[in-house]
Amino acid sequence: MIEVQGVSKRYGGVEALRNVSLTVPNGKTLGLLGQNGAGKTTLLNIITGYLAPTAGRVLIDGYDPLLEPENAKRELGYLPEHPPLYDEMTVEEYLRFVSALKLVQGKAIPAHLREIIRKTGLTEMQERLLGHLSKGYRQRVGLAQALCGDPDVLVLDEPTVGLDPKQITEIRALIRRLSAGKTIIFSSHNLSEVRQLCDRVVILHRGEVKLDVPIGEVGQSGAVTLLCTVQGSEKRLVAAMSHLDGVRSVSALPGAQEDEVALSLSFDPAALPEKQVFTLCSAMSTPILRMARCDDDLEQVFLKAISE
Amino acid sequence: MEGGFKVTTVFKREFMAYFRTPIGYVFIGVFTALSGLLFYLNNLSTLSGELLIFLSQLTLLVMLLTPVLTMRLLCEERQRRTDQLLLTSPLSLWKIVLGKYLAAAAVMGIAIVLTNVCTAIIALYGTVYPGEWFVGYLGFALQSLAFLALDMFVTGFTKNQVPAAIAAFAANFLLWMLDLLADKVPAGFPADALNFISLYGRYEPFILGQLSFASVLYFITFIAVCLTASVRVMDARRFSQGGSA
Repeated sequence: MIEVQGVSKRYGGVEALRNVSLTVPNGKTLGLLGQNGAGKTTLLNIITGYLAPTAGRVLIDGYDPLLEPENAKRELGYLPEHPPLYDEMTVEEYLRFVSALKLVQGKAIPAHLREIIRKTGLTEMQERLLGHLSKGYRQRVGLAQALCGDPDVLVLDEPTVGLDPKQITEIRALIRRLSAGKTIIFSSHNLSEVRQLCDRVVILHRGEVKLDVPIGEVGQSGAVTLLCTVQGSEKRLVAAMSHLDGVRSVSALPGAQEDEVALSLSFDPAALPEKQVFTLCSAMSTPILRMARCDDDLEQVFLKAISE
Repeated sequence: MEGGFKVTTVFKREFMAYFRTPIGYVFIGVFTALSGLLFYLNNLSTLSGELLIFLSQLTLLVMLLTPVLTMRLLCEERQRRTDQLLLTSPLSLWKIVLGKYLAAAAVMGIAIVLTNVCTAIIALYGTVYPGEWFVGYLGFALQSLAFLALDMFVTGFTKNQVPAAIAAFAANFLLWMLDLLADKVPAGFPADALNFISLYGRYEPFILGQLSFASVLYFITFIAVCLTASVRVMDARRFSQGGSA
């Protein structure tokens, strides 16, 4: 079980995490969503004991990684954002080294390595130098090292980032197979990945937890979300759209270009949102540059969470 | 012996890494070649059988070259982000630092052993007294290990290897020269303190063929303090360093 209790992290004047609390029960998979700079990697680094929090604490199966590192980290496998590989070692040498670090008994290492290498599809690569591997295989070796010692808790930081579609499918399938009986927390930008693999989702935005719900409860509001980009004043547009029929919420999304406003609008299902927005913008002489319904429940929830 | 086992694991990887990259070969090659040159200038060309003088002159080489061995130990791990593997494993910082230090010491040990070719040449054409040989090499080895420990501590502050090596060389030079500096400050506590710390001052009895237990104890304490400081630097970084979020 992973328990994060009121964790804050400050780098000089920058507050990377603010009072973050979450729990991943045994055998469950938690997906950590957030934009770049949301604090995901910092949080995962704190969970694994690589960084110390400014306030709060983390418990891995009841042990604090900073105070009782040997107990806490014995059951921890970590795949950081950049796999920690020694380029001058072969795949087999590297995994043997990591197994020894994770206290696998010497006699058990060969069988343990065979199992991990088979699981991660590295059989043909085991004699290759790590420095000669492609990005996809480096990621696989990173995942393989996280499995050394057969840890109960896996922390994976964007495990599929930078991979091609085939590799992404393979890594996801591997994580799905591993999730049986393991406690997993992983960060991702990919909403469909989180939906496929997780029992629970946490959305982190600017260092704060904006949402923490079981994946099954995501998108049960029955609302229709419209995403549109309009040229005009944000203040005027938000105020005007708030008075449309059946509107539940209007929020401006970050990242729009100058003179443009990106809006997320939530409507009752019967409200004819496109027609109303078109009519209003036409009356206000504010050209609509893009408009689309957002059919993805998780995407709607994510956009709403980060725009609040 | 779980703890010892884990130190051995780090030691083996680090030692192997020296010889999977050019660093180990370059260090041993350059050290051996330059020590051969010093031996030629001091002993062969002057027909001198003075082993201890030869060893004392090797100190300059050690000061110059130990940063090459230590610059990769901590800062390269940070640069390549492989420290995330070590620091999230069930391994104490002490064992990580000790394993790495012993690997660098082992490479240094090979270089020191190879200088005995010069001893053999002296023995072939003159006389090498076993006691003198023992004391000379003990002092030389302890001083080399002290420089390694100091450099490991200094290079732990940065993740860029070139500034790390330059800073380590500067630290070596400063500590070695402290006794000269002591002559320039007022007599009393400052001068005594500088003389006490100076690595050259501590090495001097060995050059004279004297086995100084005070110096042996000093070098061992110095090494322990530097390694402890390296551990503290790594530990403090958990609280200060930034993530990529």
